[in-house]
Order: sequence, then structure tokens, then C-alpha cells
Amino acid sequence: MLVAISTTSVVLVNQSRKDNGRVVHTVEVENQMNALLLELRRAESATRGFLLTSEPRFRAEYETAAAAVVADVDKLRSLIGDNPVQIENVKRLQQPIEGLLGEFARSIDFANRHDAPGGVEVMREADTHNLAQRMNDVVENMRAEEDRSLAQRTRTADGTQQLASVVTVAGSGLVIVLAAISIWLVRRSSRARDDAESRMRDNNLNLETMVDERTADLREANDEIQRFAYIVSHDLRSPLVNIMGFTSELEQLRGDIFRRIATLDRAGAEAPLMPADGDDVEPLLGGEDGQLSQDFAEALGFIKSSIAKMDRLISAILNLTREGRRRFEPVKIDIRELIAGIVATVAHQAAEAKAEIHIEPLPSIVSDRLAIEQIFSNLIDNALKYLKPGVPGDIRVRGRTKLGFAIFEIADNGRGIDPRDHQRIFDLFRRAGTQDKPGEGIGLAYVRALVRRLGGTMSVTSELNRGSTFTITLPLVWATTNRNGDS
Amino acid sequence: MSKPVTIVMIEDDEGHARLIERNIRRSGVNNDIVPFTNGTEAVNYLFGAGSRHKGDALLILLDLNLPDMTGIDILRRVKEDRHLKCAPVVVLTTTDDSQEIKRCYELGCNVYITKPVNYESFANAIRQLGLFFSVIQVPHAAP
Repeated sequence: MLVAISTTSVVLVNQSRKDNGRVVHTVEVENQMNALLLELRRAESATRGFLLTSEPRFRAEYETAAAAVVADVDKLRSLIGDNPVQIENVKRLQQPIEGLLGEFARSIDFANRHDAPGGVEVMREADTHNLAQRMNDVVENMRAEEDRSLAQRTRTADGTQQLASVVTVAGSGLVIVLAAISIWLVRRSSRARDDAESRMRDNNLNLETMVDERTADLREANDEIQRFAYIVSHDLRSPLVNIMGFTSELEQLRGDIFRRIATLDRAGAEAPLMPADGDDVEPLLGGEDGQLSQDFAEALGFIKSSIAKMDRLISAILNLTREGRRRFEPVKIDIRELIAGIVATVAHQAAEAKAEIHIEPLPSIVSDRLAIEQIFSNLIDNALKYLKPGVPGDIRVRGRTKLGFAIFEIADNGRGIDPRDHQRIFDLFRRAGTQDKPGEGIGLAYVRALVRRLGGTMSVTSELNRGSTFTITLPLVWATTNRNGDS
Repeated sequence: MSKPVTIVMIEDDEGHARLIERNIRRSGVNNDIVPFTNGTEAVNYLFGAGSRHKGDALLILLDLNLPDMTGIDILRRVKEDRHLKCAPVVVLTTTDDSQEIKRCYELGCNVYITKPVNYESFANAIRQLGLFFSVIQVPHAAP
């Protein structure tokens, strides 16, 4: 738009310059005509002067004037080359001028031959007047013509100028309007931006309160679960004490009963041998009674071992919930030293399994010492526990730091874990592989719970018979603010 | 030692009560055992109806998880009572939470025993308690 306006005004300005040029041209033509007439008159007066005085001064003047007339005519012709009317006029002008010049030349000739009166005669008889009249007419024509074209060109130039100024004014107006519109648009968009900003701030606030609420809810739910687990495991223990207690009482009763049976048997058969006061009465019983006593013992044994197992599970849950309620205290820990300590405590098992434990340089972190100790000792225990039988163990502890986190790896060359079981092994009471080692399936669940509470993650890469690598990522500096408010 | 010591057993689980009684008897303690299965009755017996126990020598066996109140309340009241504060209190419960144990000792419990599921340990603990009963001097409640 603006470009179009500027182009138009540039074109118009050019046009008006051209128009002005034409006007000037017209004025020039008129000047030239006047100059021509002037030269002609000069020639005439010089001729007359020569005729009167015969002074060579006048002749010279006449000659220059005549030459000037010819030159002026030429110049005039070249100037008015653009106007056919004027060309015609110049052609008509040619003849009287030539006539006049001829007359002047002839009278000069007479004067040269010292026949001034003859020359005067020539000048008198010559139709100079007529010729001059005709010439003047033509010049008048030309002047009129030039005036006409001057007027026309002036008009055109005025028109163009007017147009140019109109266009300029319109353009300026347009520019002002556009500026106003753009200011309005900018205002509107900035207002919209401000609105959006304040809305966003509100939303942020809302979001924060929402997150806070949710966090509080989650914390409450977590606390609830912890309490629940604690109470349940605690209350389950009570009946267990009874079951175990009366089972043991039953066992004692069994001893009493079978001892009495044995005594009666013996009393019936022969003299009583000895009053059995040992618990073990089986050798004294024979046949069906012995079988009965053994069945009794077997049943009681199963009950007792199941109760023992249940007690271990309940204790594990209790410990987990207790650990979940424990407050962590971050301290600076030299992990390498800590692991060296753990390795020293398992040296016996390591020697039994012919395993070597290599500790590579490890980063120090700020975290809860007890938790870290439990994490690593569980993992190292596991590594030692599940080595391949007959293969010397090679356990490596590696570490590095990355983006504010410490990454530890505990790698072994043990029996490995089927990839299908990688998720399972982290679940409470779940185990994988050949069940030839004692255990409740608690260690890894516990370790993962600790790692999570410490703001870290843990994963395993392993294949059957190819060893396992447990990777733990922990923050280099554990902040007390997160996740400690649940006790 | 005009009157023998009476053992007040506050235990809501009758099975536990029976096991405790049996094992106390096995350890050769023949003192009277007065059992209560809830806190309210025990409180009535200890604090209610005037000062019945003036001059009585009492030993209290206390479970912490009672259906109607927590044993800790009873412990506190016993230790605040002018007549009973000298009576030995043995807390016998399933809780092995260190916070709980600490609290009981702070309130003045004399012995804290966790009931182990393992019966041998359980019986052992009670028998040792019986041994303890046979050697301690229980003062008579202040008149």
C-alpha cells in the first residue's frame, strides 16, 4: 500500500518535472523567436546604417547579424522539432527572412559599389515592408501557437502537481490511519497478552495448591497404609502367639500321652522298665502306637514350621513399615569405605563361595547412612548368595556421577535372572529361579523401597546364567525436604 | 509380709492369659492370680470402690493392647496412684516397637517383655518372670 503510494507520487513528481521542462521549453522557443527577430532588426539597421554612412563597421555588423539570423533559424527549427504546426510556421518564416536577407545583401552590394542612393532605392523599393509584415504575422502565429501550448502545458503541469499533492495528502492520511490501526492492534494484543498472563498466573497458583492437596492426600494415604500394615501385622501376631503356644502345649501333651501309653503297654506285658522322663518316647513304643506318635509329631512339626514362617513374614512387614516411618538423616558418606566395611562382614561367606569382591573408585554422596548400608549389604548378600555353583564368584561394585546423581552398579557372574522375572523380584515375598536358598523374598523389595525414599531409582539387567547387574541411581545430595514428612 | 502377693493379670486374649498362667505355675509360683480381660474391669478393681487394696501387695501383669483402652493409660494411673505406685508393673505385650518400650519405662514400668511367637522363648521369659516374682520384695500398698 505504502509502496504503491510512494511509487505513484514519485511517478507524479517525475511527470510534473517533465511538464515543467516542457513549459521551460516553450519559453525558450519564444525567446529564440525574439532573438531571431532581434537579429533580423539588427541586420536591417546595420544595412541602413551602412547605406547612410558607408562605414565598414556597419557592414561587419550586418554580416554578423545575418549569420546570427541563419543560426537562429536553425536553432529555432531544432527547438520546435516536436511541434508539427510550428515546423510549418518556421517553413513559412524561411521565405520572408530569406527575402529580407536578400534585399539587405543587394543594398549592401550597391553600397559597396559606392552607390548608396541605389542601395537606398533598393531598400525603398524592395518590398521590405511587406516581407517584414509577413514575417511578423508568421512570428505572431508562432507566438500565439507557443502561448497556446504554454498555456496547455502549464495547465497540464498544474494538474499533475495538483494530482501529486492530492496523492501525497491521501498517502499521508492513509499512513496516519494505518498507524492508528496498528497502534490499536498492538494495544489490543498486549491487553490480550496481559489477560492471558494473569490467567496463567492464576492457573499456576491453582495448580500449585492442587499439587499440594494431592501431595497431602498421597501422604495421608501412605500414612494410612503404613498404619494399616503396622496394625495388621501387629494384631496378627497375637493369635499367632496362641497358636504357637498351644501347639507347643499339645506337643508336650503328646509326650505325656504316649509316655503313658508306653508305660501301660509295658505294665500289661511285663514289669515296668523305667519311668521315662525324656521327651522322646518313640523307642519305647512299638507297632501302631509308634506310627501314631510319628504322625502326631509330623502334623505338629508342619504347624510349627508354618507358624514360624508366618511369624517371619509378619516381622518383615513390620520392619518394612518401621523403616518407612524412620526419619532419614543425611550425612556425608564415603561409599567406598562403607562398602569395604560391608565386604569385611561378609568375608566369611565370600571365602566359602570362592568369590572375590572388587570395589572400584566410588563417588561420595550425602544421604542416610543406615539406609545406604542396608541397600548395599542386601545387594552384596544377594550377589554372594546366588552365585553359580562351582564357578568362582566375581563381584564388582562400580560407580560414577551424572547430572547430580550417583550411579552405582553391583555386577556379578552368578546364575542370573530370567528377564521375565525382572519385575517380580522387586515384589514383596516374590522370588525367582531355583529355590535352593533360604529367604522370604523381602530383600529387594526392601532395597527398592529405600532407594525410592532416598529419591533414587533402581533397575536390573540380567540373563539366565550370565550374571546380574543391579543399577542404583541416587541423588548426590539428598534433600531432607522431600519425602521425609511421613513419620 | 503378712499377706502374700496377689498377681493382677490384665490380658484381653484368654489364650495368652492361659499360657502365661500355666508358665507361671510351672515356675513354681503359687500366688493368687486375678485375671481381667478388659481395661474397665481392671480399673474398677484397682481404683474403684474405695481403697480396697490398702495394705495389699499387688503385682500387675499388663498387656498394652486392650479392647477398651490402652495399657499405657492403666500404667500411668497406677504410677500416679498414691497407694499403688510402688506395685511392680510388668508390661507383657506383642509390641516390640522401641518407642513404645521407651515410653513404658519412662512411665515407670518395671519390666517390659515382648511376647515372642516362639513358644520356647515365651515360656522361658515367663519362667524367668516367675523367678523374678519369687525373689522380689513387693511392698504393701501404702495405707
